[in-house]
Amino acid sequence: MIELAELTKVYDSGVVAVDRLSLSVESGEVYGLLGPNGAGKTTTLRMILGLLAPTSGEASIQGCRVSNEPLRMKRRIGLVSASAELYQWLTPREILHYFATGYGLRKENANARVEELARVMDLKNFIDRRCQTLSTGQAQRMNLARALIHDPPVVLLDEPTRGLDVVGAKVVFDYVQLLRTAQKAIILCTHQLDEAERFCDRFGLLYRGKLRHEGTLAELQSSTGRPTLVDMFLDLLNDADEEESSETMAKQSRATHE
Amino acid sequence: MNEPQSNTESNAGDANDSGFWFAARQQLEFTRKELRETLRDRRTLVTLLAMPILLYPLLGLGFRFLAVQQSLSENLEYRVAVSSDAEGQWLVEVLRMGDQIVGPPPADAPQPELQLLTPNDETTFDLKTVVADTGADLGVEIEWDHSSDTGFLGTRPARVTLIQNSGSPLSRDAYDYVTERLTAANNHFIEGWARQSQQAFTIPIQQDKVLVEPPESRSAILGVLPLILLLMTVTGGVYPAIDLTAGERERNTLETLMALPVPRFRLLFAKYVAVVSVTMLTGLMNLVAMSVTVYALQLEQTLLGSGGFTLGLLGTLFLVLTAFALFYSAVLLMLTSSARSFKEAQAYLIPLLLLSIAPGLVILMPGWSLSGGTAAIPLVNILLLSRDLLESTVQPLPAIAAVVSTFLYGVAALAMAARMFGNDAVSIGSQGSWRGLFQRPTNWTLTPSVTSSFIALATLFPVYFVASGILSRGAEIAPFERLVLSGTVTTLIFLGIPLLFLWHQRVGIRSGLKLTAPRWVAVPGALLLGFSTWPMVFELLMLAQDWGIRGIDPEQLENVEQLLAGWKSVPTWLVLLTLGVVPGVCEECFFRGYLFNGLRDHFKPLGTILITAVAFGLFHVVLAGGAAPERLLPSTLMGILLGWVRLRSGSLLPSILLHVVHNSSLLLVVQSRDLLEQWNIGQFQQQHLPATWLAAAAVGFAISLLLIHYSQRGTQLPANPQV
Repeated sequence: MIELAELTKVYDSGVVAVDRLSLSVESGEVYGLLGPNGAGKTTTLRMILGLLAPTSGEASIQGCRVSNEPLRMKRRIGLVSASAELYQWLTPREILHYFATGYGLRKENANARVEELARVMDLKNFIDRRCQTLSTGQAQRMNLARALIHDPPVVLLDEPTRGLDVVGAKVVFDYVQLLRTAQKAIILCTHQLDEAERFCDRFGLLYRGKLRHEGTLAELQSSTGRPTLVDMFLDLLNDADEEESSETMAKQSRATHE
Repeated sequence: MNEPQSNTESNAGDANDSGFWFAARQQLEFTRKELRETLRDRRTLVTLLAMPILLYPLLGLGFRFLAVQQSLSENLEYRVAVSSDAEGQWLVEVLRMGDQIVGPPPADAPQPELQLLTPNDETTFDLKTVVADTGADLGVEIEWDHSSDTGFLGTRPARVTLIQNSGSPLSRDAYDYVTERLTAANNHFIEGWARQSQQAFTIPIQQDKVLVEPPESRSAILGVLPLILLLMTVTGGVYPAIDLTAGERERNTLETLMALPVPRFRLLFAKYVAVVSVTMLTGLMNLVAMSVTVYALQLEQTLLGSGGFTLGLLGTLFLVLTAFALFYSAVLLMLTSSARSFKEAQAYLIPLLLLSIAPGLVILMPGWSLSGGTAAIPLVNILLLSRDLLESTVQPLPAIAAVVSTFLYGVAALAMAARMFGNDAVSIGSQGSWRGLFQRPTNWTLTPSVTSSFIALATLFPVYFVASGILSRGAEIAPFERLVLSGTVTTLIFLGIPLLFLWHQRVGIRSGLKLTAPRWVAVPGALLLGFSTWPMVFELLMLAQDWGIRGIDPEQLENVEQLLAGWKSVPTWLVLLTLGVVPGVCEECFFRGYLFNGLRDHFKPLGTILITAVAFGLFHVVLAGGAAPERLLPSTLMGILLGWVRLRSGSLLPSILLHVVHNSSLLLVVQSRDLLEQWNIGQFQQQHLPATWLAAAAVGFAISLLLIHYSQRGTQLPANPQV
């Protein structure tokens, strides 16, 4: 369903945000794209959505490539971002209708979809209140509903539980489970590694733009010899630091010889 | 939680519904969302409703108070026109008699004086015309029996016709003044005759009144109305424009918006429609508040002349307002779309707002009219058109040119806005405030920020405008002192202000102005360019004048001629220093130094060169004491050349050299114009240069361009760090 082939992003400043990233995610699969801050997760999601142009490589969904058909790609994706906020002066119903129209839903379909999401995401109590009065949990549920208004085959979740309490986070992860049942292809970026272990089918460990490890939890346990994602993560950070210091030493040594 | 639908295919079937009517419905929904968001925001409502409701009554009361104070403090004089000296004498005698009967006015009331206007051998006039044109406050026609020997009264009643200007309060007062005295004189005679009851009773003076209409729209306030309209438009559009673009970024809603499968232009167009709507609503509210205030305070005739507030005038004002709104909203969105935060957007709009006021003031100056040249200048054209509309003096061709060019500028601005809007869709949070904008940074940096560059530009323009105006008033100052003063002012403005900004922004002078050593080849290149450029600039000026682009009136030209004549009494070195070297060095330090380096952080090379060049051109239009639109094109082209030299050489020094040599060459030619005339070059400033001069200049110009082209440093300079 989702195919990334050698996807690379180098910013004008020379920083390599994503370095030849290749991965694929199938329908009904939850792929955990994990990594520390600045690893390149959000940049990857923005490239899939067509918000950022890749320096090289390609992202495609069901054979539709972002470089050729950016608008068709966008129709197939629902984005839930922790940093995304709601329009404070509008109500959830108005926002949902706005995005439904934007994604090309006819009025009668949009009405039905809004009602369905209000029921599924439990929005009914606040669907006609201005968003500025919503709690963090209500706003995040609304964010999720907004991303799914056009019932996309692909869902990109960028730290969807950031700032949520335990109950709020559980609501989101429960819904991720349901989306899997509904055969969506999902990429989930999160720092909640214990939750990710429970809900993701496969994992990609990203660090400084590079995919360091990939596989199911069992595969990763076998290849790294570590029992949990947290341990693997810490090893990854240590290895990368050592790698960096050895690279620095090598550079210094070359400079001395020259 | 309930289970969602389990279909894997998206509702893409709906998305395929991309027919015209669906797209139109989509666009309507996008616009509705923008309007809802804007109109529900209390800050928009304050600008939309509270401002006009509070502002205009206060302004109206203030105006009325000032008008009353002024009328009390002024020496009152009525200019009364009569057809002959004999009629004048008759009137004076009757009024004197009336004065004696009426008695002197109270001590605190104005003491009117009468000035009699009579036609003589040189001037003749028609009483009605002279009153209508406000050449006199009152016209008096008198018919009486000249043949009688009974003094000025005659045997038959004298017929006095008073001609009053219906649009002039002063004319009304003069009418009352004269009527009061004529009536008193009449009453005096009636009393006398009544006492001698044997005589037949006739009223000795019979009086008629004629009201004449002044020509429409002669009130001075009409000249200021376009500027008021501009400010009305600005206040309405600024906040929504920032909020709907930079605000989206700052509130982290832009990313989800850009994720919609809709072309960027359509999203921006919805915002444009919302900004235009709010702007026009604000304008309408202002119009209503202004009309009610003027009506309630009875200021129609005082402010707007005899026509007052008619429906036609209101309709015209609304049309002008619409044109403003359409153009200005696009420009606002163009600027705010590139901003990453509220703070940045505010910084972009400050110079725009200040620059917008300038054309409003400029059109009040004499010599500005809507013509081939001015019809293409943004804002100035629409302001001139609105002025002509109000004065009913519209010429069709320039008016069409103004509307078309404004429309094109609007479209261009909107297209640029669409390119910039959601460019990277990166949400960068930053809480903006005006205080933060003027805070001194804690760390030293290499180059000025784009924000501080725009603020410096906005500061410099009005300071320069005022300073050059003050300098032009000092006609009695001797040429020597005048030149010294001019050099000092130029230094203080163009060098002092950038240095102050560099200090405030903690930017190093050398790096901030790019005072680095260029490659040696740039030095002869700049020198040669300086010697070979002035003939071309001079020719362009001549061509501009040939095409009728001239902003200085003959009187100002005479002043310039006097100035030039005055220079002959001053040592040449002083002329070169104060008008060649000092402007060359100081102007470059600002335009190609501070401003150029600040803009390079944000714009591509071509954009940076063009913006600095246009700013340079506009500054040169503001000539001491007037405006010289014919200088816009040559100065802007010169600015492009100077910017290109700065870019290629990677240093400010070649630009300074070019500017100094160019100015000095031109000054030397001016100083030696007697000599030039001896060489049969003709009358300087009125004839084109000889072809041989132009050919030599063209060859030198080409060689110097090559030299500068090859002066570029081998290594690419790093992009300026973000400040």
